[in-house]
Amino acid sequence: MSTNRIIFLMLLLFVLEGSLVPWLIPEGFGGRIIPHFVFVFVMYSALYANRHQALLLGAGFGLLQDVVYYGHLIGAHFFLMGLCGYFAGILMEKKRATIMMALTIIGFACLLYDTGLFFIYKVFRITEASYAWALTNHILPSLFLQLAFALALYVPLRRMFESRSLIAEGDEE
Amino acid sequence: MIGLLSFFRNKRVLMLMVAFIVFIAIIGFSLSDRKELTWPEKVLRDTTGYVQMWFYKPAGWIAGFFEDIGDLRRVYEENEQLRMTAAAYARDKVTYNFIKNENERLQKELHFTEQQKQMNNYSYLIAQVVSVSNDANNRAMIINLGSKNGVKKNMAVVNIDGLIGIVNSVTPFTASVTPITELNETSPNSNSIAATIEGRENESFGILSTYNKETGRLSMTRIPENDKLEIGDTVITSGSGNIYPRGLRVGTIESKQVGEFALTYTATVKPSASFDHLTEVFVVSVPEIDDSEPGDVEE
Repeated sequence: MSTNRIIFLMLLLFVLEGSLVPWLIPEGFGGRIIPHFVFVFVMYSALYANRHQALLLGAGFGLLQDVVYYGHLIGAHFFLMGLCGYFAGILMEKKRATIMMALTIIGFACLLYDTGLFFIYKVFRITEASYAWALTNHILPSLFLQLAFALALYVPLRRMFESRSLIAEGDEE
Repeated sequence: MIGLLSFFRNKRVLMLMVAFIVFIAIIGFSLSDRKELTWPEKVLRDTTGYVQMWFYKPAGWIAGFFEDIGDLRRVYEENEQLRMTAAAYARDKVTYNFIKNENERLQKELHFTEQQKQMNNYSYLIAQVVSVSNDANNRAMIINLGSKNGVKKNMAVVNIDGLIGIVNSVTPFTASVTPITELNETSPNSNSIAATIEGRENESFGILSTYNKETGRLSMTRIPENDKLEIGDTVITSGSGNIYPRGLRVGTIESKQVGEFALTYTATVKPSASFDHLTEVFVVSVPEIDDSEPGDVEE
């Protein structure tokens, strides 16, 4: 699938993530279950395409997120999404990830991403909550949402990103 | 340096360092008190806001429809209550008219300036929430009114239940609202709310400075010692900070403790508005103050 189609899909997802997904989350859980679907896309790109694409997609969509929802500071998502994508790309450079491996890496990346965000806001004294609270309040509940999303779209996303990558597809599991 | 660059691993480290510096620079820039957004930001936000409008509203209607079906049973009770409120309102309206006329006459006699007269004459702009940020620490909401509709930075945003937040930045067609759950005394870009108690507007005072995320309550500090504040009182904005207009409902008092240095009291306030599934909100538009007086500065 061409990069343009991927970007278009991600833009659509970005729009839906802010406007439609909040309605699907039960009332009272709005601040606890937080979708990061675009980030899951970036991770798939890191796992099945290459790290440079993941870096660019992550930085691009992170910046978009930062600018559109500018509340306190710009740059947190920009930096973290790009970085997480790039490092996952380096980690999986020569390997083809199986489904369990992909989900594990996406899970850990989500943890890293949310933790990073939390500490950026903590360092600039925008939030005063403790990390232990943040972990149980929103990081872990949203992790499950992200994993469910990643699992649900594993096959189409893998196909989508893999068809772009140059590595031969002979060693599928 | 050349040696560093020649080695691939170190080039990566170097890039990381550069990225980190850029990151800190951007954050530092965005944290400062910005009056206006740059045009790329405006274009991006307007476009996304426009597209998101197509989704959020219908989603809200559908969700609202199902909630309405669930609410059918409660409608009867609610109707009863509303009838009682309407009767009380009709009685109060008469008194209000008298007092209003009296007040106007007195203002005239005391030679109030036009600005003083118009100060509390707020108008409400109806806005639709377009999208909500997916960041736990920045729950910014985008609404579909912008500077073209007269929305300005620092305007208060309410819904029928109470105060929601404050306009944080505007673009021509959208505005971003920071909810009061982001209030934090130590944060570099957060405003405290001067508050008072409904019914005792001239006697009570306190400052809503911080929202405690762990308990979900606002803390109202600097309450004078002799304040007759009680649990269950309704907290409203007092308007003396000149950022938030006066008389907007914020929440109810849940508990009261002795404050930091035992000189003042601290109370915890339960916000009356819920911040999930918001559709319709009102932007409180303060009348234009053309002659800026020295007293207009925020507290």
